[in-house]
Amino acid sequence: MTDNSPLLGVNGLTIRGGGRTLVDDLSLAIGRGERLGLIGESGSGKSLTALAIAGLLPTGLRAEGSLKLDGMQVIGARERDLRSLRGRASSTVFQEPLTALDPLMKLGRQLAEPLRRRAQRDGERMSRDTLLRVIHSSLTDVALPDPDRIANSYPHEVSGGQRQRVALAMALATNPLLLIADEPTTALDVTVQGEILDLLARVVAERQMALLFISHDLAVVSRVVDHVVVLKDGVAVERGPIAELLRSPEHEYTRSLVAGARAFDDALGRIS
Amino acid sequence: MTAVVALEAITTATRRRRSWTLVVGLVLFGLVLATAIVSLFWLPYDPADTAGSRLEPPSLAHWAGTDRLGRDLATQLMIGARIALAVGIGSVAIGAVIGITLGLVAAFAGRVLDDGVSAFLDILIAFPTLLLAMLIVAAQGASLWSAVLAIGLAMSAIIARLTRILAKRILALDYITASRTSGTGMWGIIWQHLLPNVWPTILVNLALQFGLSVIAEASLSYLGLGAPPPNSSWGRMLKEAEGTVLTAPIGAIAPGIAIVILVLGLNLIADGLRDIGDPLRRVSARAVPAPTTEGPR
Ligand SMILES: Nc1ncnc2c1ncn2[C@@H]1O[C@H](COP(=O)(O)OP(=O)(O)OP(=O)(O)O)[C@@H](O)[C@H]1O
Ligand SMILES: [Mg+2]
Repeated sequence: MTDNSPLLGVNGLTIRGGGRTLVDDLSLAIGRGERLGLIGESGSGKSLTALAIAGLLPTGLRAEGSLKLDGMQVIGARERDLRSLRGRASSTVFQEPLTALDPLMKLGRQLAEPLRRRAQRDGERMSRDTLLRVIHSSLTDVALPDPDRIANSYPHEVSGGQRQRVALAMALATNPLLLIADEPTTALDVTVQGEILDLLARVVAERQMALLFISHDLAVVSRVVDHVVVLKDGVAVERGPIAELLRSPEHEYTRSLVAGARAFDDALGRIS
Repeated sequence: MTAVVALEAITTATRRRRSWTLVVGLVLFGLVLATAIVSLFWLPYDPADTAGSRLEPPSLAHWAGTDRLGRDLATQLMIGARIALAVGIGSVAIGAVIGITLGLVAAFAGRVLDDGVSAFLDILIAFPTLLLAMLIVAAQGASLWSAVLAIGLAMSAIIARLTRILAKRILALDYITASRTSGTGMWGIIWQHLLPNVWPTILVNLALQFGLSVIAEASLSYLGLGAPPPNSSWGRMLKEAEGTVLTAPIGAIAPGIAIVILVLGLNLIADGLRDIGDPLRRVSARAVPAPTTEGPR
């Protein structure tokens, strides 16, 4: 792998299923430590793109084109090779923190799973005490109060914001090169949303992780990334630095997004 | 692992919310279990002892009376408890192992294999247990083992179909995808997420099926397709009491009550398990269908 090849290089990604083209000729690149926003309305193909990167498209959907993650071609790769790529090269935080956690497993045990796998990958032997300590510190890292209580709770025993922090801790646990966040704050109320976004921006910067941030909300995206790709009906209609996009949106769809974000900001300004 | 999870779930939940159905069910089941265990060490009479007078009503010497050969009915009932439990445990073991395995294979398989397995299960479920039992008896001869095999196979089709539906539903949930995106493999998914989440529902169904298998064994024995003569299964006792049911009704009533006690106990256990399974799954309970009540016919 040469130094100038990006961490994630998507070239002409096309996803088809059920006789429809769901993502059409999408190209994007994310370098190590870079952050990119993928923005688009509901049904525009954002989540499918995220799943394609992990090589986890639902059965019945087919991807074409090229999708290289850390030098490996994901499309058409064997499940075995993909498994060693997942977690190490990328992991994902999902929109709905309640369904993204196993309802029957205590949060500490769920978090232990990726932590143990990373230790195994790095050839470390992890004793029980070390594991407990690492669980504690992972939960502290995502600013959870009382980590020991949280670790000992089931998902339904903690709040939505706390659950999403645990989900984030789990995604971070394998120390991936690329973190994919698929609308991680949509299900949360506005204040919690802000806290999680700040937390996300901070941990990604601290660990120099690359970030693919997916949202339908330009105001939210602009808090964590500086470059965006705008997706509409599976087609990338506009891309560039977010400041530029806000100043002079070219595509009509982008303009409506910007107007929406302005109205949201104004409303916030009026409240505060 | 899963057993530990289930056990933990059961103990914590019983402590939190006393489930009376579970308690009563366990008492009834325990009664039959204790009888079966005692029968291994002690019986009031030798089962072949025909010294008693014939068709005697219950007395201190013969608690449940005697049959038309003068054998002690209480003795036969105790042996019958042993047989009922052996058949139940054996067929549930066969049903659970084959059923869960087949269900998981179908859930993970590609379209073609999944369709194939589903079609096979539909045929097996449509196939009357009686016919299956006759085929197995024709091949192997009538024995307890033939009955267990027939009931177990019929049960495995039902458990397989249930497992497949539950597993498919759970595999489509976000936490499975989330776990896979961080690199968990198929076995990790099965052991850590899938089995613990489908197990409570399957357990409830196994308890129900256990009860149905007792009835199925009684029917097979009644038809002469179960345990051959020296084994006094409850179904066989019913058959032998057939001719004297009007003159000495105890011969039919006693095994009938025994069957009711065991089946009722198992159904109450299933109900109780379902009750205490619920609060634990506040989240996913809605997604899990009520257990099916079909059984071997
Ligand atoms: N398994 C599937 N089979 C067929 N079509 C699918 C499947 N999954 C998603 N789609 C379709 O693909 C399109 C894009 O879906 P996707 O989930 O990527 O949207 P999204 O941009 O993430 O939307 P949202 O903001 O609502 O999450 C939608 O029209 C959806 O109906
Ligand atoms: Mg989505």
